[in-house]
Amino acid sequence: MNPILTEIYSTIVPSMPFIIGAYVLMWVALLVYVLIIMVGYKKAEAQMAVLEEAVAERRAD
Amino acid sequence: MTEVTKKTPKLPEAGQWPDRIAPAVLVVGIVLSTIGFLLAFLWASPVNGAGVNGAEMIGGQMVTNVVLLSQKIFYFHMPVAITSFVALGFAGYYAVRFLMTRNRRFDTCSKIAMEIALLFVACTMITGDLWTRFEWGVWWTWDPRLTTYLILMLIIIAYFILRNAIDEPERRATFGAVLSIIALIDVPICFMVTRLIPSSIHPVVVREGGMSGDMGITLMFCLAGIAMIGFALYRLRFRQVRLTERVEVLKEQLED
Repeated sequence: MNPILTEIYSTIVPSMPFIIGAYVLMWVALLVYVLIIMVGYKKAEAQMAVLEEAVAERRAD
Repeated sequence: MTEVTKKTPKLPEAGQWPDRIAPAVLVVGIVLSTIGFLLAFLWASPVNGAGVNGAEMIGGQMVTNVVLLSQKIFYFHMPVAITSFVALGFAGYYAVRFLMTRNRRFDTCSKIAMEIALLFVACTMITGDLWTRFEWGVWWTWDPRLTTYLILMLIIIAYFILRNAIDEPERRATFGAVLSIIALIDVPICFMVTRLIPSSIHPVVVREGGMSGDMGITLMFCLAGIAMIGFALYRLRFRQVRLTERVEVLKEQLED
């Protein structure tokens, strides 16, 4: 590559880890939050099913 | 004698229309963000840095400056920052509603909005810090914008520490509401500080000549996408928290 092109593109490769890092970490943070919501929702749903059963049993007694 | 009638406030509840559209909004948000990401790297013009000693023809254009690829971080950095401000706006609004009505549903809404704000503040810090490290060569500098945004993040963290430290629900909600409003007050300060303090080295896009059309369109895709994701996350979390609250009420009823 000629020296002028080398100078024009001089920041491309060194900046790559920072750009990739920024995008990856941002999406990971959002994904982790979605996973926390999903796990919490599944747990609450399971608890609700158990409690509804207990309520039905109590009413039947 | 006049009869005083107190109007019951309309409470946000899971299963209302925003919950019905939330999954679709999430999908559209992801699609728009993906389009924005592709446009940022494949279509939007590169930003130029320092001049080079000569000129080269690249893609039919004479290029005489260093190409700054790190600027591509901006297309998501600004939308996540704006979304964090919007989330804080909602947190403050619900905090005021709580203080006016003393209805704990508004406290729940305010708390979830603060969570969303913290998430997007973290995203802003991550993207901004990596740009700062490459462009300015440091992980942190006490620039006015960075400092006020750090204060904002600390207020939000303090909000959650405070909530965990207070057992009594009414006091917890009241103190939390006050802190939400303090965080909201910091938002315009944080937004305007680069305009008010000329020594600030943080880039101000609008003041510095704005963006070209292709850059603006790319930014709009990212902004719309991220805002939609923020809204959908808020509603998903709200549904989960309401379900958990109902479980707790049912548990208490069974214990009685």
